[in-house]
Amino acid sequence: MSLFSFLGTLEIGLIFGLVAIGVYLTFRVLDFPDLTVDGSFTMGAAIAAALIIAGLNPYVATVCAVIGGAVAGMVTAWLNLRFNILHLLASILTMTALYTINLRIMGKPNLALIMEPTVLSPFEALGISSMYLKVIFVAVVVVLVGMAIAYFLNTQYGMGMRATGANARMAQANGIRIKQKIYAGLALSNGLVALAGALFAQTNGFADSTMGIGTIVVGLAAVIVGESLFGSRSMLVIIFSCIIGSLLYRLAVSVALNADFIGFTTSDLNLITALLVALALIVPHIRREQKARKAAAVGGEA
Amino acid sequence: MISCKDIKVTFNAGLATEKRALRGVDLEIPAGEFVTVIGSNGAGKSTLLNTIAGDIKSSSGKLLFDAWDVTKVSAAGRTRDVARVFQDPLAGTCGNMTVEENMALAYGRGKRGGLLPALNDDLRELFREQLKRLNLGLENRLDAEMGLLSGGQRQSISLLMSALQPSKILLLDEHTAALDPKTAALVMEITDQIVEEKNLTVMMVTHSMRQALDHGTRTIMMHEGKVMFDLKGEERKNYDVKDLLNLFAKARGDGEELDDDKLLLGA
Repeated sequence: MSLFSFLGTLEIGLIFGLVAIGVYLTFRVLDFPDLTVDGSFTMGAAIAAALIIAGLNPYVATVCAVIGGAVAGMVTAWLNLRFNILHLLASILTMTALYTINLRIMGKPNLALIMEPTVLSPFEALGISSMYLKVIFVAVVVVLVGMAIAYFLNTQYGMGMRATGANARMAQANGIRIKQKIYAGLALSNGLVALAGALFAQTNGFADSTMGIGTIVVGLAAVIVGESLFGSRSMLVIIFSCIIGSLLYRLAVSVALNADFIGFTTSDLNLITALLVALALIVPHIRREQKARKAAAVGGEA
Repeated sequence: MISCKDIKVTFNAGLATEKRALRGVDLEIPAGEFVTVIGSNGAGKSTLLNTIAGDIKSSSGKLLFDAWDVTKVSAAGRTRDVARVFQDPLAGTCGNMTVEENMALAYGRGKRGGLLPALNDDLRELFREQLKRLNLGLENRLDAEMGLLSGGQRQSISLLMSALQPSKILLLDEHTAALDPKTAALVMEITDQIVEEKNLTVMMVTHSMRQALDHGTRTIMMHEGKVMFDLKGEERKNYDVKDLLNLFAKARGDGEELDDDKLLLGA
């Protein structure tokens, strides 16, 4: 792997670290499997690209992208909480609607950001080669966001959110407004994913209406890879294991695609990802079964 | 003071499956009283408890916490005044969170959850002190995952958690029913200890007549959605399980044999 492609892998791995944190918030913290992210990733990219091309400051455009993602998340939460639509289905509905909305935002299937200013422009004067600058910038953003989310999950509000997903009845009995937590959690999660989309568009120079396909599986893969490596109760460790999981996943994919003797091409990526996620889900399951069998054997002797 | 005024609860009103779970309950629980509630299955014990908690909305009648009319207030809106321990030891705590995190959640009951850290060293010290009283060695396991503890340990911690913030009433819903007899006795001992120390107002639903008479200051028996009798003071002291069974048969007045195994077994 060349240095150039290695740095590219790092950069995308870090950006998808944000997606992984978002997926962790819904799937693990709230126990709300949310597929909206396939749409909100594209939405983040679309809003940022469209607004930058319209002449808006890239930072303002990025904030708008985050807000757009958050609103998308809240629509899913609303469908689920207000009308009792199954969470998976509610998120698929939002995701499908977003496909059209994103096309409307962009006005055409893809937008190029080659000559436009981006969030990186103010730092170009530093004289660092853009190859490194992108990675450093993205790394700083991801680390700051990761620390903020870890802090948040340890606050009274954040802990209420965790209790909502872990034991809603208990949460309610302790005065936690669980619906409010689900709205906030989905908004936060999809806001982060939209931020990832906005950064992706600006570092890679384009937004495309199909770029979000499979975002959820990649995010989930990152969460699972991270979880299987670190078994900690500390929120900081868990959040950073999502980011590291995303990096490792990207590296693994990139190695697999670069190894000529295996003969994978980029079009095989979805199958590889699905297999990886399936494997990561199967291994802990088998381990649990083995443990239970062992415990039963010990219990039988006693 | 908790006042129930002619509270009626009907499930599936107007349908073939209509069930009148509460048919007009009048009950006043003054502050500091420990009421035990008995009755056969379907008598309305749990419905009454859940109505006070706000999980179930009454079809008619009034519920007052002191002067505050809470009849239409949601369960979440009442939590400042209502503490609960559930029957299922797994229901009262979050299994995938640590002991101290669970206690921090209960410490925040009735307060607005802000963006300050939920835990700090002062709180940990408070939790450690509280856990010490259980004599289960849990004061050294603040950062243990709740799911790793036994049902009895979790229920004991649930009790501590319910008393971390003041409440107008503590609702115990057969909170020892899912435990083995030895652990149940321990949890009841801890219950009495906490209730006495904090001078709590308590309503405890139980299936055991023995438990209903041995603990608390007042016993009510429910039958078919009504309070059938109400024992307190000197009169209650002279009662034993047999008297209670007789009273139960007499009050029903239909000469029907007592056929609820659970009530007898619980005795």
